[in-house]
Amino acid sequence: MPSTKQTRTMGAFATRGSESPKRREPSHTGHLIAVISPGVIWIVVFLVLPSAYLMTIAFMTNGTYGLPRMPLTLEAFKELAGFGFLGWSPGNLYTLIRSIWQTVLSTGLVIAMAYPVAYYITRAPARMRPLMLLTVVVPSWTNQVIRAIGWMNILSPGSPVSNFAASMGLISPQMGLFPSKFAVVVGLVYNFLPFMVLPLYAVFEKLDYAQIDAARDLRAGPIRTFIHAVLPQTLPGLLAGTVLVSIPAFGMYVIPELLGGGKSMMLGNLVARQFAAASNWPLGAAGALIMIIATLLGLLVLRRLGKKLGGDSQVVL
Amino acid sequence: MSGSGFNRGLQAFWYVMLFFLYAPLAVVALYSFNSINSSAVFAGVSLRWYAALFSNETILHAFYNSLTLAITSSIIATVIGTLLGYGMYTYRHRRLGWLVWLVYLPIVMPDIVYGISQMSFFTSISNATGLFNLGLGTMVIAHVSFQVPFVALLIYSRLVGLDSMLFEACHDLYANGWQRAWYFILPTLRPAIVSAFFLAFTLSIDDFVISFFTSGPESTTLPIFIWSAIKKGVTPEVNAIATLMIGAVFGAAAIALAFQYVRLARSQASD
Repeated sequence: MPSTKQTRTMGAFATRGSESPKRREPSHTGHLIAVISPGVIWIVVFLVLPSAYLMTIAFMTNGTYGLPRMPLTLEAFKELAGFGFLGWSPGNLYTLIRSIWQTVLSTGLVIAMAYPVAYYITRAPARMRPLMLLTVVVPSWTNQVIRAIGWMNILSPGSPVSNFAASMGLISPQMGLFPSKFAVVVGLVYNFLPFMVLPLYAVFEKLDYAQIDAARDLRAGPIRTFIHAVLPQTLPGLLAGTVLVSIPAFGMYVIPELLGGGKSMMLGNLVARQFAAASNWPLGAAGALIMIIATLLGLLVLRRLGKKLGGDSQVVL
Repeated sequence: MSGSGFNRGLQAFWYVMLFFLYAPLAVVALYSFNSINSSAVFAGVSLRWYAALFSNETILHAFYNSLTLAITSSIIATVIGTLLGYGMYTYRHRRLGWLVWLVYLPIVMPDIVYGISQMSFFTSISNATGLFNLGLGTMVIAHVSFQVPFVALLIYSRLVGLDSMLFEACHDLYANGWQRAWYFILPTLRPAIVSAFFLAFTLSIDDFVISFFTSGPESTTLPIFIWSAIKKGVTPEVNAIATLMIGAVFGAAAIALAFQYVRLARSQASD
């Protein structure tokens, strides 16, 4: 939209008085380049180039010791879809589907838990709020490996929680709740909860309570009040939180590796395994490429949604 | 009124949530004082795992590596990121959509994609030229590249919060570029730069995946050491280091909170 951009620029310059915008342009461009180039060059050289290289590897052929070589083929993608020497097997596809399912499930649980928490913090006295937010965020500042160890301890066979689950008949007595898919989902929810609470808190803080009162006056029940008066207002925060939770959860490596055991592998573990022990770089890269595509698609869809709703869905950090 | 029941439920949920958030950390801390080697039975208080910790050369070396990595990468990332954030703010009216994407992407991209792409990139360069051998150097590069976007966004958001009239005032007072940077922008941004540095530092200390893939045999950091120890099944000592690291995080959080309340009190006093 060139017209709106132009008016905005004009507006910015208009406040500067009589100075012509054209005359200042050249020095500005030099200044712009000087200021942003170190960051841009660093990101391009050490993030964009390696990612581009990884994408190339995905189309290369698996050589000896797993190192990729020419020619470019689609072998890795066929292998990812399950076609190998011994015919077709669904193992990799299961991993992919499991990644999607565990991501959706844990994102849903995170949303369900973060809503009341964010709302509760907004209703607290103003001077308590920073402390309460910090209380929610601080555990996520500890290393994710350490947090996973905490859950390994809690859910391990013989622990009080596992014994309780066994006495309820949920698991057989000698088994623990860890390693399992359940442990992975708990780990994911635990890991990503703060990333949903913060953006939701940001929108709750600006909540227009008049709309809620209006809904109540119109005799809407709690559920309808929520759907019609609260949800639309909090949607930008919800979208931002969903980006921050679901995308990293989809590519999660540490939690499934530590809490999951062999049958709860996610895409991240599949990718890492192909690179570790130098087994098959192209296959791993193909998996990583799928992650990149999923990330970009997810971002585009959520951005589109955010724009449609008209909210300025700035991600809060 | 059903409202009070709702509020009570909300409060109960908050306490359940606190339990959920802190139980895993509390368990790690508890078992670090366990006198026997078990993560299911607590047999009595003992400091033996802490004693084992401080006589372990590998752990001390890993601790040293973690600190070197975090400090070096945070300094570089703060300088580069502050410039980038300032540039993003100053030229925000230009068509810089690509820049915003470039800065946002590293934040949302799964870290395993970065760890692995950098690992394969550095390995291939190192095979071809002998440069960029995996080690502390490649780890610093990798850390800076994921810290820069966070620093840039933090600085950017602080600048957006400023009154744009201040910039105009500088201009009206005929400050040249350097004077403006030295007497206005840097002092104004100082708190943001300090918090950006600490954010970068925490990100570095907290990172496992990217470090894991870009590290060499000599550059083990604490999280990598912990990882390999639990993979081998050694837990009590690990609980002890983990507890110390949790303690460090809580100490840092307490300091941050104290600063926040002091600033709040000051701003209220000046009102």
